[in-house]
Amino acid sequence: MISFLHIKGKGLWRACAFLILGIVLACCGEEITSLEQPNTAVVGSNINIKVNFKIPTAGDGTGNYLIFAMLVPKGWKMADNAKISYSSQSLGGGTMSLLPANSLPKNGGGLSWPAYTKKMFGNAGNLIDDMEWVVYQSEKNYAYGGGFTFEGNVTINLKVAADGNPTIVKLSYVISDSVNAYTSNEFGTYYSQINSPTCFEATGGTGDLVDFCNPQLTVIDPPKSLDNDFVSLTFDNTVVTTSLKDETEVYLCATAYTNDGKTIKVCEQTDKTRMAETAPNSKHYRITFWPKALFNTTDAQTITKIEYFVTDKTGTKRVGYGNTQDPFVYTFKCG
Amino acid sequence: MLLLLVVVIMAASCKTEKVLPKQEALKDITGSWQVIKATRNGTDLAGLVDFSQFRIQFENGTYKLISKLPFIVNKDGAYALDDPLYPFKITFTAAGAEPLSTAFTYPIVNGKRQLSLTFSPGCANNSYVYVLQQTN
Repeated sequence: MISFLHIKGKGLWRACAFLILGIVLACCGEEITSLEQPNTAVVGSNINIKVNFKIPTAGDGTGNYLIFAMLVPKGWKMADNAKISYSSQSLGGGTMSLLPANSLPKNGGGLSWPAYTKKMFGNAGNLIDDMEWVVYQSEKNYAYGGGFTFEGNVTINLKVAADGNPTIVKLSYVISDSVNAYTSNEFGTYYSQINSPTCFEATGGTGDLVDFCNPQLTVIDPPKSLDNDFVSLTFDNTVVTTSLKDETEVYLCATAYTNDGKTIKVCEQTDKTRMAETAPNSKHYRITFWPKALFNTTDAQTITKIEYFVTDKTGTKRVGYGNTQDPFVYTFKCG
Repeated sequence: MLLLLVVVIMAASCKTEKVLPKQEALKDITGSWQVIKATRNGTDLAGLVDFSQFRIQFENGTYKLISKLPFIVNKDGAYALDDPLYPFKITFTAAGAEPLSTAFTYPIVNGKRQLSLTFSPGCANNSYVYVLQQTN
């Protein structure tokens, strides 16, 4: 009997301890309440974005920092081109600074903040994997507790498309706190994400259009490469109805422009240019090539860009940019 | 007397075992190597790129590339290992070019030496790993 009571007591104590511990640790069920963001801007201009949030608190604690993460194209180099501040009557306000590379989120399994954020929130529906999460932390920490709800906002002043490329992209925003770092448990979810409601467009600029938002007839992997990389070019014959819709054999027809002012055309329908279907009936056709070899350049020549079409096996039907007779253009560059 | 005999016998039964320092083999990569596995940014390039003709031949401190593909160097030249016993860096010096070093590993897999090289021939953000094995 004593033994029975003892076990029951132990269980009860454990349950109580767990509950108390849970309440103490439980902080902040962050919630983004609204987003104020323009839908378009000129390439290279600065825009202001405001992310409004509220943080209901369930337990008590101190030493917590506000975490803010934003998903942008890598080429925008947001870390160098943005100023972030936060403001809240109860938290105080100030600037938010980039989390240093050696600051690791707990529960991140050794991943850095940007890598952990990417693992948690992905690419927010963007179709080209050339985006990065840039993660900031409030300059001051704060205490929380008493069932109080903080309200505030994060403001972002960002130079868009610093790489000079007109861009169509879904931007995404996440708010969390350093104590809970994107966790979720029976007491709440300690992060909140909001995406731009429509695709943001950076217009003008001198570079090539980068469209992260809409399915493209052709996609090049890696997104940024030089003529000494292996380049995979995939044609998606399902995006729109093209003149190649009934073809099962398609070929690359391309012209390379070199740094010494030459053009080299490779437009033959042979195994050299054949695009293989990635899986049976997928209607996705891919060719992986080494540009230097495909165009047979000399050691001194560098290919700066290629213009290309996808053709049928006779070479007469061809599909170009946006399903027109204009070629697709790909510029070799790293930045 | 008996005790003395026992002690002598026992003492005689002991012998000093010489511990020979085990000689680490010199890492000799002389020979012809081919790519058996390759990745680009973690994506397997098997089936996408034909590596069957590509060879790299190491001999007397020089290397020769056959059926070239994107590699650390694109011309023939000299190579050196940083340490003949425990190499972890290989340096290629193509004719008329600056030396280029890259980390490499040299594991034995299924009884055969492999040479695993990591490098970026194009954009620095694009990382390639080639695993090479000696051709027979």
